[in-house]
Amino acid sequence: MKPAGRLALGAAALLALPLAISDFWIFIAIEVLAFALYAVSFNVLLGYGGMLSFGHAAFFGVGGYAAAILMKKAGLPPGVAFAALPLVAMVAAAAVAVVVGYFSVRRSGIYFAMLTFAFQMLLYAVALKATGLTGGDDGMTGLKPPGLLAQPLAYYYFALALVAPALYVLFRLVSSPFGYALRALRGNPRRLQYSGVDVRAHQLAAFVITGAFAGLAGGIFALSSGNVFPGWLNWTASATPIVMAVLGGVHSFLGPALGAAVYVVLEVLISGKTEYWPLAMGIIILILVLLMPEGLTGLARRRTA
Amino acid sequence: MIEFLSQHFSWAQNPVVVARQVLAGISNGMLLFLISAGLSLIFGVLRIINFAHGALFMLGAFVAVSVLSLSPGGGWAYVGALGAATAALAVFGAAVEAGLLRRIYRAPHEFQLLLTFALVFVLGDVAKLLWGREDHSTSVPALLDGSMRALGLTFPSYRLFLIGAGLAVALGLWLVLHRTRWGIFVRAATMDRGMLSALGVNTRLLFTSVFAAGAALAGLGGALAAPIVAVGPGLHVQVIIDAFVVVVIGGMGSVMGALVASLLVGIVNAFGLLAFPGLAVVLTFAVMAVVLVVRPHGLFGVPE
Repeated sequence: MKPAGRLALGAAALLALPLAISDFWIFIAIEVLAFALYAVSFNVLLGYGGMLSFGHAAFFGVGGYAAAILMKKAGLPPGVAFAALPLVAMVAAAAVAVVVGYFSVRRSGIYFAMLTFAFQMLLYAVALKATGLTGGDDGMTGLKPPGLLAQPLAYYYFALALVAPALYVLFRLVSSPFGYALRALRGNPRRLQYSGVDVRAHQLAAFVITGAFAGLAGGIFALSSGNVFPGWLNWTASATPIVMAVLGGVHSFLGPALGAAVYVVLEVLISGKTEYWPLAMGIIILILVLLMPEGLTGLARRRTA
Repeated sequence: MIEFLSQHFSWAQNPVVVARQVLAGISNGMLLFLISAGLSLIFGVLRIINFAHGALFMLGAFVAVSVLSLSPGGGWAYVGALGAATAALAVFGAAVEAGLLRRIYRAPHEFQLLLTFALVFVLGDVAKLLWGREDHSTSVPALLDGSMRALGLTFPSYRLFLIGAGLAVALGLWLVLHRTRWGIFVRAATMDRGMLSALGVNTRLLFTSVFAAGAALAGLGGALAAPIVAVGPGLHVQVIIDAFVVVVIGGMGSVMGALVASLLVGIVNAFGLLAFPGLAVVLTFAVMAVVLVVRPHGLFGVPE
């Protein structure tokens, strides 16, 4: 099938999906949309730029908290606050990403991962301690979109209307000269530097853009799940986008979105049956890492090749 | 200014409080050292950030709790618990390295990270299955129960014992690393693994033994900590973060750095809690970030 045909089919499927499933699964579908955006944006950094951020949950979390504070503490009418939410979540996450990125892109490899990790834990500690703003340990609960948008079906379309264009922007980004510079950067940063490209500026730009979209994803998810907790910012949360990206396959643009869908649905199915979801997830990760390093899209490609 | 000082630092006028906090800081620091020494050693040689190190510490504590429950307060049971935790974790560490880690040394960073991460979740839940979800507490052996008095200061004997035990381990580790053939290989591997292998050293065996040694240290640390912490699921999630901060400050790969940074973090935390309760956690991570920005190889590490 031609790409345009596939795109139309995908769009039709995403539009029709919530009409065919129960409210419970519509909530799960919203979660999938948010995490798909989160994982794809994370993978623009990892799969294209070769930068392993171990603190990306910071931006998802900041987006979530920004959304929650906007709805609960800003004192705006719900409709106005909600309309501003996507922009506020993105700007808040981008602002944090500028600071974190400015310091982190000076280091590469494992030290880059450690730095992003340290900043994430710093934000986690702040979320725990700034009780007045964030609710501390208890987090912030009772968030919901205003009026009719609180209906799962309506909120699904709202989320889709944000996630689809965001994915399109990210796709255009990786197909642009900037995207090719990112790929070159993964392969050989020093050579790129010698050919006159400002490597750090590219890394920082990629970091901030992907951070902003992670923030948008966090904001979307905060209002469908109804709450934000400091745990969103804890170090164990930073494995989530890595698992999703690797599960889907880091060498494909939409692979991480597939990984996010499989991960979220597995979590729902397994944690509905047993309290030992972490054990199951650990085993899934072990299988993934040891037996199928190319991820699901890699498996599919190998079968068709 | 004076108001600020008197509000946050009034304790500084009381030498007994200061001395008590220093001792508490050192004894906490020694526990930190036992966890972070192994973490640092493993990173130095295997170049892997072992997120599961906190879980190994927790398993050590659980093993100790089980052994101690056979004879609460007994001196020999205590010695047996320390030995059993150390030995069990050494064997377990060797199995993890040979069975899992060995397969991904050449893989990209994210795979190494995910693998030790998976172990965190698996071991956390396995501990729940084996030991239940409630916290266990166990008693200090009768010989070390009670407290000591000197210069108007009362201090729990077990805390003093921990300081001694930490120093003994630090000394033993130094002797092993500097006076044995294995120690020479370990230090050489920290600098250049490829060269070591080219010179005919069996690096496979070295990697397994280093991971086993690191795991054994974590197990011993868990067993020593068992009488003074709540041993339960979730212990590992916090412990690994503390150890991480120490290893980053001290320099990844440096045991000496781990010792100095452990004592530093232990003492700073003890006073931070007095001066700015609530802010101490934020400060710790701020220090970690600053060290990584300014001096990523830490105080004693070797720059890449």
